[in-house]
Amino acid sequence: MSNPYIPYLTKVKSIVTENKVNDIKTIELEFKKEEEYKKFDYIPGQFAEISLIGKGECPIGIASSPTEEGTIQFTIKKMGTVTTGFHSSEIGDIIGVRGPCGNGWPVEDMKGKNIVVIGGGFAFSTLRSLVIYLLDEKHRKDYGDITVIYGNRDPGEVLYTDVLEEWKKRDDIKVVLTIDREAEGWTEEVGFVAPIVKKVAPSSDNAIAVVCGPPIMIKTTIAVMEELNWGPEQILNSLEARMKCGIGKCGRCNIGNKFICTDGPVFSLAELKELPDEY
Amino acid sequence: MENKILKKDQIGKLFNELVGEYKFYAPKNHKGNISFEQIEKPEDILLDYLNSKIPPKSVLFPNMEVLFEYTLDEKDVEITDRQDLDEKIIIFGIRPCDAYSFELFANFFSSHGNVKDEIYLKKKENTTLIGIGCNTPRTTCFCTSVNGNPFKKDDMDLFLTDLGDSYLVEGISDKGKSLIERLSWLSNAKDADLKKSEELAKKAEEAIVTKIDAKGAVKILETSFEHPIWDEISEACVGCGTCAYLCPTCTCFDVIDETDQYNKRGRRIRIWDTCQSCLYTKETSGHNPRNTKIQRCRNRIMHKFSYYPKNYDLLGCVGCGRCVYLCPVNNDLRVILNKINKIEKKEDEKAVV
Repeated sequence: MSNPYIPYLTKVKSIVTENKVNDIKTIELEFKKEEEYKKFDYIPGQFAEISLIGKGECPIGIASSPTEEGTIQFTIKKMGTVTTGFHSSEIGDIIGVRGPCGNGWPVEDMKGKNIVVIGGGFAFSTLRSLVIYLLDEKHRKDYGDITVIYGNRDPGEVLYTDVLEEWKKRDDIKVVLTIDREAEGWTEEVGFVAPIVKKVAPSSDNAIAVVCGPPIMIKTTIAVMEELNWGPEQILNSLEARMKCGIGKCGRCNIGNKFICTDGPVFSLAELKELPDEY
Repeated sequence: MENKILKKDQIGKLFNELVGEYKFYAPKNHKGNISFEQIEKPEDILLDYLNSKIPPKSVLFPNMEVLFEYTLDEKDVEITDRQDLDEKIIIFGIRPCDAYSFELFANFFSSHGNVKDEIYLKKKENTTLIGIGCNTPRTTCFCTSVNGNPFKKDDMDLFLTDLGDSYLVEGISDKGKSLIERLSWLSNAKDADLKKSEELAKKAEEAIVTKIDAKGAVKILETSFEHPIWDEISEACVGCGTCAYLCPTCTCFDVIDETDQYNKRGRRIRIWDTCQSCLYTKETSGHNPRNTKIQRCRNRIMHKFSYYPKNYDLLGCVGCGRCVYLCPVNNDLRVILNKINKIEKKEDEKAVV
């Protein structure tokens, strides 16, 4: 018997402050036991229940890609008790990890397709994981054109600036960055994500789009994509909900008869249209 | 295997023989409420009850349960797993509806995702159910409308029928049959005892007069998520959550850490939670997918009569009637289901016009 509520123990290896206002940090974790790291076999788009033992546990998307071997990363916004605790953690602190949870981006079904990645704000973490996975030398040949459209409120909120710079240097990925309003020193696009998607007009031919961001961004972006002839089965979303167990037992993340934690968090727009509007 | 007779004054003997080997739970009057408690003195066992206020789910899925314990060092954490899951348990005097609810629990805790709730399942595996038929069902009972019966035996290991001054004892599962063999002092039942038990079963079934078309409701609910009936159904609800806490098929829980900061140790526990609470789904951002009472009431009914049936091809209700007689505003599930069943008829009438 194995108790599914006991986390693996990891140690904080590095901490990166991701934004100017200092409420988003990426924490890199190293497993205490190598064999437990091997058991933590994940794909981009999955999440884990991470805990500060003694304070509590919360579900966070995995920001690292399985191709970045040795450690895992989580990007955490300071919101409640547990996430505030993570923000106060230091190198070497112990953090519990249960997972991987959920279905993740369907990287196998996406093979042979052009991939369009659209993200808004802090929801970019599992998109970072996906793009790094797609660009890995073992996988890049399996996918067609890759386009990334990533929007933020202002330049100080752009996450993962180092990897974005690396992507921009490559010729096998198109990266479009945008901010809501003009700002000094900003040389890229200006405008909300939806109109920028309209301007870039990614083709829906043999393509899959993943869209992550605040609800209003998703709504407006999907409207634009429908105009651009994207079908509902070609658009993938990742949903969030309050969760406790992450393994389909505690009950609270249901939408109709599905659970976000085990049937999701990734759902196609076609699947979401079949479910009650209660998420 | 022959059926046996347990005299009422032999319950103490049965208890004394099993109590060392098993943790022995039975209905007991606990501060004025009947609930399934661990028994220390056999005279506390109360079989002359209609249904316990707190369902016996509390034995295998207690209101508060430790998931694991931890000690905190300056820079390290040590976790200690549960050590008590191999204990053998007897639940004595469980009613058929409640025994059936354990099957519904196990369906859910062993599926939905690839991780099973081994804590619950291990305990269930080590549990022997000695149940009892309901000679006089409550007026709020409706098990016969939801795949149940006051003498449903197939979820039990041993099944008792109250014959007046003794119990007829039937071995149902292999576990139950071997237990009967062990209790070699039980006397053999006579044909007249069997005949009497059959009569009692028939009488009990006839005593349940409530008939609800639950399967019909399942079908109607498939297309009624947006129906205005939910305003009416939820109108009286005060959101206390009694219906869910005391429901033998409600499995939802919250998880919290309890830390003794002086001794640097603590435990992660789960406690019963309910979809009737507005905090249940409230996210840290403030967003709440079920912000209104209408949505929360709908979720409870849909869970039992639409979502559970969709996932397991079974109703998620056992007809125990606790939510009916314990609701403080008398928001009767039987009435709710009948209202749902009228939705289609009303629409058919409209279509005819």
